Amino acid sequence: MGKPKAKVDKKKCLACGGCISICPQDALYWCGDKASVDEENCTSCALCIRICPVGAIHGEVY
Amino acid sequence: MKYDAVVVGAGPAGSVTARFAAESGAKVLIVERRREVGVPVLCGEGVSRKIDKWNMLEGKRWIASTMDAARIYSPDGTMVKLSAEMAGAETGYVIYRDIFDQELARQAVKAGAKIMMNTRATGLLKDNDKIKGIKAKQFDEEFEIEADVVVGADGVESKVGQWGGIETRLNPKDLESCAQYTLTNVECKDAYCDFYLGNEVAPGGYVWVFPKGKDVANVGIGVLASRSESGMAKKLLDKFIANDPRFKNGEPIRFLAGATPVAPPVETVRDNLLLVGDAARHVDPITGGGVTCCLQGGKIAGETIGMAVEKQQFDQETLSTYETGWREAFGKKLKRNYLVKEIVLDFDDKTLNMLADSLKDYKFEEISTFSLVKALVLKHPTLLMKLRPLMKISSEAKG
Repeated sequence: MGKPKAKVDKKKCLACGGCISICPQDALYWCGDKASVDEENCTSCALCIRICPVGAIHGEVY
Repeated sequence: MKYDAVVVGAGPAGSVTARFAAESGAKVLIVERRREVGVPVLCGEGVSRKIDKWNMLEGKRWIASTMDAARIYSPDGTMVKLSAEMAGAETGYVIYRDIFDQELARQAVKAGAKIMMNTRATGLLKDNDKIKGIKAKQFDEEFEIEADVVVGADGVESKVGQWGGIETRLNPKDLESCAQYTLTNVECKDAYCDFYLGNEVAPGGYVWVFPKGKDVANVGIGVLASRSESGMAKKLLDKFIANDPRFKNGEPIRFLAGATPVAPPVETVRDNLLLVGDAARHVDPITGGGVTCCLQGGKIAGETIGMAVEKQQFDQETLSTYETGWREAFGKKLKRNYLVKEIVLDFDDKTLNMLADSLKDYKFEEISTFSLVKALVLKHPTLLMKLRPLMKISSEAKG
């Protein structure tokens, strides 16, 4: 089983763009009006999880 | 159809750039990712009255209320009052950012710019290494937009700069993670913007209360991203509101999140490429306010594009008129305030309390560095050590 990777809860995401601005791997991008994770590039650093102001990102094993 | 300039993002910086470029004769297209300009609002909505003298906005519909002064509260509740002029960028007007942004977009269109909504830039269009425009996507359709200049006005999460070889990725210590309620039925009678500091209240940031007239107020928080945990901004804001009697009967009519760069300014020009606004990190690193820089910088960017179109030269050297212009207008201040931010972030609550206690009776109308330092040090001599690096910055700025 792999490490948990970032996953955005699209119902909670308020589209501030903070996670996209700090992701060291460029693994976050806009998908429609919400942030979304490219699991291929995510290295499980969890930075986006910690900085999300509304707790809309969590770790999940894909 | 080929444009002189394609602007990515219809926020204040993008629209003002587009307007002044179009006014000086350029053919301009703005692409906007969202379905409505200015929505969702991602902002505390405090703006300096300095914007009045630039005459970029018509009417008053974008003004919610006018503020007389700012009150800053240290962790133990000591209050320091600053007049609107002294408090700077975030005191003056509390605005409706959606109407504000739409008014600036309207001005851009009036000047001749076109807007394409629901359209996301997905990359740069290049011929060998030369930038020729952008790749864009509207719903499921992908297409190319040709332009001599690409303007990255794509906000804190900017990609245009990175595509063009400018490193804009933020370090978490240079980002504020924000949340804000607009509350109704609150008791905020005075025309004051309030700021609350402290490591318990908002680690590496502050809580703000901006009255919007009647019984409505924006109550928000910024937390330094490097000190944040998942959902911290919202949790601490909820706690602040629950403990403040003014909000006892308040109910939210809006909740929003935000991300504000508090980073040093980046290089903003390459061949055929400019960055403006949050994408260029044109935000005061102390207050997190960016609207004034967006308007000032956007005007310089737009006029530079007009000049480049006239010369038909779009290389870095020609476009660097913009870089020189904004560095002169507000770049030095951003650089200095970034250094101040780095120092003040290390102040513990005790130091913040001592500072507030020294300043609470200080008359800010008659400010001078000497009298300020005297006021601080007479009361709390140990502050001298903490403030020494700040005084160094202040004397360097003068020299």
